[in-house]
Amino acid sequence: MSGIPISSWTFAVRVWLATVLALFASFWLQLEAPFTAAVTVAILAEPTRGQALDKAAFRLTGTVVGVTASIAIAGLFSQARDLMLAASAVWLGVCVFAAKLLDGYRAYAAVLTGYTVANIAIQQIDHPQNVFDASVERGAAIAVGIISIAIVNVLMSAPDRHSRLAAQLAAIHRRIREYACATLRGESDDRTTFPALVQDIVGLRPDVAIVALESSSGSVGSAAARSAVVSLVAELQAARSLSAGCADVETEDYSPKMRELLRRDDNVRQDLSALRSVRWPTRLQRAPLYRSYRIAADTAVRAALWFGLASVLFVWAGWSAASASLYLVAAVAALGVTTPNPRGYSTIALVGAPIAVVLAGILEFIVLDGADAFPVLAIALAPFTIGAALLVPSQDPVWSGLGRINLIAIPTILAPSNPQTYDPQAFLFTSLFIVAAAAVLLAAQMLIPPVSDEKQRTQLLAEARDELRVDNRTGETLEEAMFRDASRIGQFLCAGGAHDSHGLAELLSCFDQSATVRRFNAKPTQLVNDPSREAT
Amino acid sequence: MAHTFGELVVGGVLVAPFVTYLVATLVVLIVLRPLLNVAGFAKMFSHPAIAQLSLFVTMLCLLMLMF
Repeated sequence: MSGIPISSWTFAVRVWLATVLALFASFWLQLEAPFTAAVTVAILAEPTRGQALDKAAFRLTGTVVGVTASIAIAGLFSQARDLMLAASAVWLGVCVFAAKLLDGYRAYAAVLTGYTVANIAIQQIDHPQNVFDASVERGAAIAVGIISIAIVNVLMSAPDRHSRLAAQLAAIHRRIREYACATLRGESDDRTTFPALVQDIVGLRPDVAIVALESSSGSVGSAAARSAVVSLVAELQAARSLSAGCADVETEDYSPKMRELLRRDDNVRQDLSALRSVRWPTRLQRAPLYRSYRIAADTAVRAALWFGLASVLFVWAGWSAASASLYLVAAVAALGVTTPNPRGYSTIALVGAPIAVVLAGILEFIVLDGADAFPVLAIALAPFTIGAALLVPSQDPVWSGLGRINLIAIPTILAPSNPQTYDPQAFLFTSLFIVAAAAVLLAAQMLIPPVSDEKQRTQLLAEARDELRVDNRTGETLEEAMFRDASRIGQFLCAGGAHDSHGLAELLSCFDQSATVRRFNAKPTQLVNDPSREAT
Repeated sequence: MAHTFGELVVGGVLVAPFVTYLVATLVVLIVLRPLLNVAGFAKMFSHPAIAQLSLFVTMLCLLMLMF
C-alpha cells in the first residue's frame, strides 16, 4: 500500500466518483443500459485530463461511425445470419487495417468502429428492427459517461498532460546532449543509447495531439510540442553523425557537423521554450508516422479470420446468447492488435476474466445481496473500482492490463439496473460468455498466429531498403522525413528489434543514408533559392 | 407562458432540445478558442480547467434562456 504513489490514489478515487456519477445520471435519465456509462468511464480512465478528453472525443467519433456501419450492415443482411457475420468480420478487418496505420487514440477509435458493429448489429441479430434504438441508447450512455469523467476530472483538478510533456521533452533533450558529448569523446554506445532515445521521442507522438484538447491555448502547446519532437530527432541524428568523424577531431568534415548539431540544439531550445511559455513555435512542423501497408493488411486479414473462426464456433454451438461472446471476441481481438503483442493481450484477458467474475460475484451476492438503494451501490463499488483503478497506471503491462480488464468487466457482469435483478442464472451466463470469449479468441490466435515480430522486422527492413533506392519526395521537409524514418525505427523496436542487433544495425544504417541523401538533395534547392549567393 | 423549444428533426428523428443546446455551445466554444487564447484566458485563472467549465455552463444557460 505504501508503495503506491499518491497520484495513483487520487486517480483511483476520481475513477470511482466518475463511475458513481455516471450510474446516477443514467438511472436518473432512465437509460436502458446504465452499465455502458460505467464502462465508458472505465475505458476513459486515464491519468491526465487531456488523455481522457482525447480518448473521449475519439470514442464518440468511433461510436458514431460504428453505429452508421451497424445500421448499414443490419439493413443489408437482415435476413441472412451468415452474411451478416461475414460482413462484420470484413468490416472488423477494414477497421483493424486503418488502426495499424494510425497510433494512439486514433488507432483506438478505428478498432472501436470495428467492434461497435459486433456490439450493435450482432447483438440484435434476431431483432434487426431494434438496431436504431440500441444505437441511440448506447450513444446516450456513452455521452453520459464522457460528461461524468470530464466533470470529475475538472473539479478534482486532474493533472494536465502539458506540463508533464514539457518536462519529458526537456529530459530527453538533456539525454541527447549527454549522448552528443559522449559521442565527441568517443565513449557513446550507439547500439543501445541511440535506439532508446529514438523510441522515447517517437513514443511521445500520440501525447502531442492530446495537449490540444486540454485548454483554450492547447492547440498552440500542441504545435510547439510537435515541432519539439521533430527537432529532437533532427538533433539526435546530428549528434549521431558526429560519431563517424569523432575519431579524429581535426578531420575536414567535423566542423560543419558540429555547426549542424549546434543549430539543431538551438532549434530544440526554442521549441521547448515555446512549449513552456505556450507560444507558437518559430516553424510549424508535422510529425508524420511511418505506415507499413503490408503489415497492416496482414494484421487485418488475421483479425477478420479470428472473428470468422469464433463466429463459426459459436454458430455451431447454437447458444442463443452467444452474440455477447462474439462482441467480446471482436473487442479483445481488435484492441489487442493496437498493442505490440495481441496474443499476450488475449492471455491477460483470459486470466483477468475469471478474477473479474469472482470479484463481481462477491460484489453482487455477498456485498450487495439484494440491496436496492443507490448509496449502498456507490459505497459497495468503491473497493472494487478503486482497487482495479490503482493497478491501471502501473508501468508493468500485465498489472495495468489486469486492472483495466477488471475495471471494465466488473460493471459489465454486475450490469446495474433499476431495479437490480440479482439473478444467479444471468450472472452465470454472462460470466461464462466472458470467459468463453477470451478462451475462444486465444484458441483462434493459436490456430492463426498474429503477424510474428520477426516477419514485421523483415518487412520494415525491406521497406527501408526499397525507400533508399526510390526517391519518393512527398513534400516533407528534411526534419519531417527524418521523423518518419525514426518512427519506423520505433516500430522495429516495438517488434523486439532491440534483440535483433544485425537488423537494427542495418535499419540504422538506412536511417543515416536516407538522412544524408535527403540533405544533399535539399542543398541544391537552397543554393538556387539563396539570394545572397546569387548576388556574389 | 411556457418556453417553447425550436425542434430539430433529422430524417424523421426528433433530437432532444438539450442535445441541440449542448452541441451549439460546443461549436461556439470551439470558434471562441483562438480568441480566448489571444486574450490569455488560460493564464488569468489559477484553475483554467474549472474556469473553462464555468464558461461552458454559462454559455449553455445563456443559449437556453435566449433561444
